[in-house]
Amino acid sequence: MTNTTVVGQSVIRPDADEKVRGGKGFPVNVSLPGMLHAKLLRSPYPHARILKIDASRAEELPGVKAVLLPKDVPQIKYCPVYFVPTLAPSMVQDMLIMSDTVRYAGQPVAAVAATSAEIAEQALQLIDVDYEELPTIFDTESALRDGAPQLHEDAENNIAVNPSFVFGDVEAGFEDADHIFEGTYKTQRAHTCYMEPRVCVVESEPDGRLTVHSSMQHMFGLREKLAFSLGLPESMVKVVKPPYIGGGFGGKLDLGYIEPIAALLSIKTEKPVRIEQTRYEDFITTTRNPIEVYLKTGVKSDGTFTARYASSTLDCGAHATHGAEVINVHGMFGILLTYRCVNQTWEGRTVYTNNMIGGGYRGYGSPQGSFAVESQIDEICEKLDLDPIEFRLKNAHQEGDPHPFNPDFTLSTYRFEDCLRQAAEGIGWAQRTPAGSGDDIVKRGIGFGCQPVWVSGCMGFPDIYEHSGAIIILNPDGTANLSNATVDMGSGQITTLCQIAAEELGLQADQVRMTYADTETVPFDAPSHASRVTYSAGTAVKAAAANVKQRLLEVASVMLEESTENLEVRDGHVHIKGSDRKLSISEVATRAESPFVQMTAEGPAPTTIGEKGTIIGVASMAPPSNPSPSSVEFVEVEVDTETGEVKVLDVVFAHDIGKVINPSAAEGQVEGGFQQGMGYALMENILFDEETGACLTADFLDYKMPTAVEMPSRIESIFIESDEPTGPFGAKSLSEPCCSVPAPAIANAIFNAVGVRVRELPITPEKILAGLGKL
Amino acid sequence: MTELVTLEINGERHELAVEPSETLLEVLRNQLRLIGSKRGCDSGGCGCCTVHVDGKAVYSCMLFARSLQNRKVTTIEGLVQDGELDPLQTAFINEGAVQCGYCTCGMIMTAKEFLAKEEQPDEKQIRHAISGNLCRCTGYHKIVEAIKIAGASR
Repeated sequence: MTNTTVVGQSVIRPDADEKVRGGKGFPVNVSLPGMLHAKLLRSPYPHARILKIDASRAEELPGVKAVLLPKDVPQIKYCPVYFVPTLAPSMVQDMLIMSDTVRYAGQPVAAVAATSAEIAEQALQLIDVDYEELPTIFDTESALRDGAPQLHEDAENNIAVNPSFVFGDVEAGFEDADHIFEGTYKTQRAHTCYMEPRVCVVESEPDGRLTVHSSMQHMFGLREKLAFSLGLPESMVKVVKPPYIGGGFGGKLDLGYIEPIAALLSIKTEKPVRIEQTRYEDFITTTRNPIEVYLKTGVKSDGTFTARYASSTLDCGAHATHGAEVINVHGMFGILLTYRCVNQTWEGRTVYTNNMIGGGYRGYGSPQGSFAVESQIDEICEKLDLDPIEFRLKNAHQEGDPHPFNPDFTLSTYRFEDCLRQAAEGIGWAQRTPAGSGDDIVKRGIGFGCQPVWVSGCMGFPDIYEHSGAIIILNPDGTANLSNATVDMGSGQITTLCQIAAEELGLQADQVRMTYADTETVPFDAPSHASRVTYSAGTAVKAAAANVKQRLLEVASVMLEESTENLEVRDGHVHIKGSDRKLSISEVATRAESPFVQMTAEGPAPTTIGEKGTIIGVASMAPPSNPSPSSVEFVEVEVDTETGEVKVLDVVFAHDIGKVINPSAAEGQVEGGFQQGMGYALMENILFDEETGACLTADFLDYKMPTAVEMPSRIESIFIESDEPTGPFGAKSLSEPCCSVPAPAIANAIFNAVGVRVRELPITPEKILAGLGKL
Repeated sequence: MTELVTLEINGERHELAVEPSETLLEVLRNQLRLIGSKRGCDSGGCGCCTVHVDGKAVYSCMLFARSLQNRKVTTIEGLVQDGELDPLQTAFINEGAVQCGYCTCGMIMTAKEFLAKEEQPDEKQIRHAISGNLCRCTGYHKIVEAIKIAGASR
């Protein structure tokens, strides 16, 4: 492991001070002179054709400045997902900013810009819309049935995409099996519940250029998708990087309705236009896609996999958007690549319904897969009386194997076994009793779940952007400014990237400052998603810092009359190796910036041309690999057999994420990931009225997520530090797996407590009582 | 339709013209640009808008400004005294209790009132005290730690 002084420290995040004082940098605070406020009229019907819209009364309301109707909107079909090229063939271009056809309850059908949000809201009530209601479909089974209404003209049987992957010969594998297990596992809609609503301000210039502020996870994706949807060249759109946003978790990874609508209203009114979503609007704006997984597994008596077959049906709602890619990640990383098995087949279907549109959410298909795979492995172990830890290890990938996703990459670092063994010890696995033991009303159980293979970004994925850029400039005072397009949604990217730059430059963490930028001044970066920033953007930042260092040495070389090979940078200085002679970085940077001819006591003294010029380093590059982290989580739960209530008592995670750049920030990721995973396992569920399609859980009173009371008081994070050779200072990635493993871990612990296997999330008290035969 | 209401906000008297439907949160954010109080839900469900009215932690999105004649309001901006951060603010920074930060100010205002009432709170009490404030990033663990530390440092 490389010796580091800044990397590996729990450096305090530089944005925390501003945030405890009020947090002025959130996009929700952006306010421009003359700004108008807009509101969207949303369809009450889940499937309808608009026959006529009369907005004349709304237009007459004092304070109303513009009304936007479907007829005013470019009819360019687009895919809103930020991380793919707009016309990526693997995605589906099926959205319009506004359309005459409504496919879910809540789809915008008109918008009003006014001098205040209240007036805009009032004006919405004055718009008369005649709808012709159309037949509706709210579940995938009905959507796939012959004769079902077809929601999109290109999508026969309402199938948006149906990818499949085949390895080996699955039939031969099942013939070779001593035992075959089958099960169907269902997951629900869950919302990311970012705390800052989706909000944007768009300002149009007389020459047609747009400047955009938005709470989103990708500046360049917003620029590309917004420009495309409006029929503009990308250079006409400038997206300003927010200092930080109030959470995202994948929920702000696509163009919303609000940005293009605000843009069109701004063009129409020649004023900046702001749209802030209500919480109801947020709840119907992207969700983790529900997936039903049928999983069939063949094993030898000793637990070796001989064949795995799965078919997954994803309900993408009214438009495909992320559903076209979530299904692939789910099939590959949620199911097929998790363990070694030669014979595997997976078939996926992304199916249109009249439900809300799905989206990205931390884990991106793997929580749905992990719930199926990890639940079924425990079912197999229970039936065959095999040890669940040894079972997984028997089928696990090994360090040094070719990467199961892409054989051009290698699992250079892969410490899954250490994760399993150390977390097992941490929870006290050896004390586990057989399922359902004891006669107590309240029973305890221990279980675990794994995400054995995951990504560090999207290197090698078809059609997905994966490169990063960074600019680093040295200031004459010896500090550095770092520009990079990564949006910090709370996970600490500002901090970790500054630590990486500081380490490379021999500076303290607080001597590197993340500056703010826009799409016209910094190079492209892929989004803050796919657990990619530390590894991938970190690689570019380190390369830019290395370029700064090289230039620093060149200038110092002239000043010290010593070749660059004999110089080194550490502790804020350029040292001559093996000598006491040194220059501070500040002295070197000042010299580089100084006038060519400097006045001295002895008279004018010219410097050299070779020393002159701001010390700057730039990089724009793709990372060399896509190393896999591993995540294992053990939990202890308590289940009340009278009420069905579950309480999580204790949690131990173990991760191999390579070198940990910032331990405190890493723990924070894991603890937050657990909260989201526990909510998914036990309580969170977006519900809709079965007849009208209206969202029934559109605020935090009805949509239940864990509060501090439901959370266990201990969440231990063990980090097994491997030294990933392709990562910046040995780092891999962290964010998502810790959110994928809680559901199977909790399901398995519940089984251990009371002997009830629940195959449908969330695991509510009713389902447990039904399993106990008490309901 | 506007009416005048006098509020003492962070120690300063303000005479404000408010609409009958205007909430305290809207007045703070839109009229006074005290943006530390955040709108997360507008329905008393998330706690991001928590401020103190006469020392009591309340959801500012759930109160009409016109009903607060002559009341004393403290927002996160009023916690910094003589340039010094409140011990809770310092503890949130040092313990890594701030991630995205959107819930932070409301969380601190709730904790501030709680610590004023409880001399030596235990963890369970802290967890109950902040159960009306949602956080989606941290899992609350480091927030609870920060409140413990701020409480113990008095």
